[in-house]
Amino acid sequence: MSSANLQSNTFEVSDTAEAIEFYYDKGWTDGLPVVPPTEASIRAMLDAAALDPGQEITYIENRQVSVTAEKVAINAVMAGCKPEYMPVVAAAVEALGDPRYGYHGPATSTGGSAVFMLVNGPIARELDINCGDNLFGPGWRANATIGRAVRLVMRNVIGTLPGKLDRSTLGHAGKYTYCIAENEAESPWPPVHVERGFRPEQNAVTIFAALAPHQVYNQLSNTAEGVLTTIADNMRISGSVTSQPQYVVVIAGEHMRVIADDGWSKADIKRFLFEHTRNSLAHLKRTHRVAGPVQPEDEATMRPLVQAPDDILVVAAGSKAGAFSAFIPGWGGKNASQSVTKEIRRP
Amino acid sequence: MDKRIRVFDPTTTPKEQALRYAPRPTTLQGKKVGLVENTKYNSDKLLLKIGKILADEYGVIGVLLRRKRNAGVPAHEEIINDIKAECDVVIAGVGD
Repeated sequence: MSSANLQSNTFEVSDTAEAIEFYYDKGWTDGLPVVPPTEASIRAMLDAAALDPGQEITYIENRQVSVTAEKVAINAVMAGCKPEYMPVVAAAVEALGDPRYGYHGPATSTGGSAVFMLVNGPIARELDINCGDNLFGPGWRANATIGRAVRLVMRNVIGTLPGKLDRSTLGHAGKYTYCIAENEAESPWPPVHVERGFRPEQNAVTIFAALAPHQVYNQLSNTAEGVLTTIADNMRISGSVTSQPQYVVVIAGEHMRVIADDGWSKADIKRFLFEHTRNSLAHLKRTHRVAGPVQPEDEATMRPLVQAPDDILVVAAGSKAGAFSAFIPGWGGKNASQSVTKEIRRP
Repeated sequence: MDKRIRVFDPTTTPKEQALRYAPRPTTLQGKKVGLVENTKYNSDKLLLKIGKILADEYGVIGVLLRRKRNAGVPAHEEIINDIKAECDVVIAGVGD
């Protein structure tokens, strides 16, 4: 436990209700009430991750901002996190500063992305991070508050304020929180963090600059090829189409079983989706996504939606019931921002 | 009994840095202009058009167009060095 003094300015208020209004007045909330951060609650957050208040979690080059553990802890308290969530929040904030994520682009762009967070490893079950029913909906404290804490850090510490340094034209609800876990217990496939070189018993968080989830219906097919043909058809024209972002594809329970029963691996899914989401240059021109008149050879010139099959992250999650899956287009293009996985370190 | 509670500021103020503009030339006559293109559609055309106006109306003797890796990052060292080596002034901006 660190005994170092907290460095932040403090304010005295008469009660919790006054504190909530004070944080609104200061412009320090996402529009929802926050939990007032006190010394005890901030220290509990730091202790749960064995962090010193002054420790730098990440550095945001474009903003010249050092994000300290103390500020992350304050915002995590405000978001409603339990102290044991703090290592997940800290790992996600660390990932924000990774050059591969390229914070400035997705955070400020008119393209309006959110920070999608996927938690893998035993910690997801220990913290009850939802990977099942109502996957992207409300009802789970960990999902609701871990993602919210990261957004509050972006707002309050890094200065990513809507209309100022966040110029999103539309944005989406994932900017409040966008945190899920993979259903490792029931998945027939290796989890994302293992695909990326971690051991199954390690804990990791993957962040991804993401647009909103798109639900795909296929209540008809009982083959992997059938289900994935439908998913590919929905994906083909989505996101920024011509700039090749990465994608997340969330395969939910019934589709998971259909695909696994046919013996398809995650690599098979990625390869099939890569091959079946290409667009003809002629179509992109006819629909005004690429400039210029259609040339005869454009009909047979195919443009892949992503750069490579591994740019589609396949995640097993969602309810057991219902023949739906989802895909999430990434922001911009992979050259500007890509998903980043960091280990979640606990004392 | 005083039950006031002490709450903490969640914000960070970026460190202040002294920024200084490069000295401005008094004329563009005989100067070469670097153009930093941010990869956005048509940004190259817009910059080259600006370059042509500077040549036609202000006596600029040439332009050097260089492309950033993507719109969200600063210009990388290679293009900064190219422009430093060859140009007197530079135009950079974010078009969207």
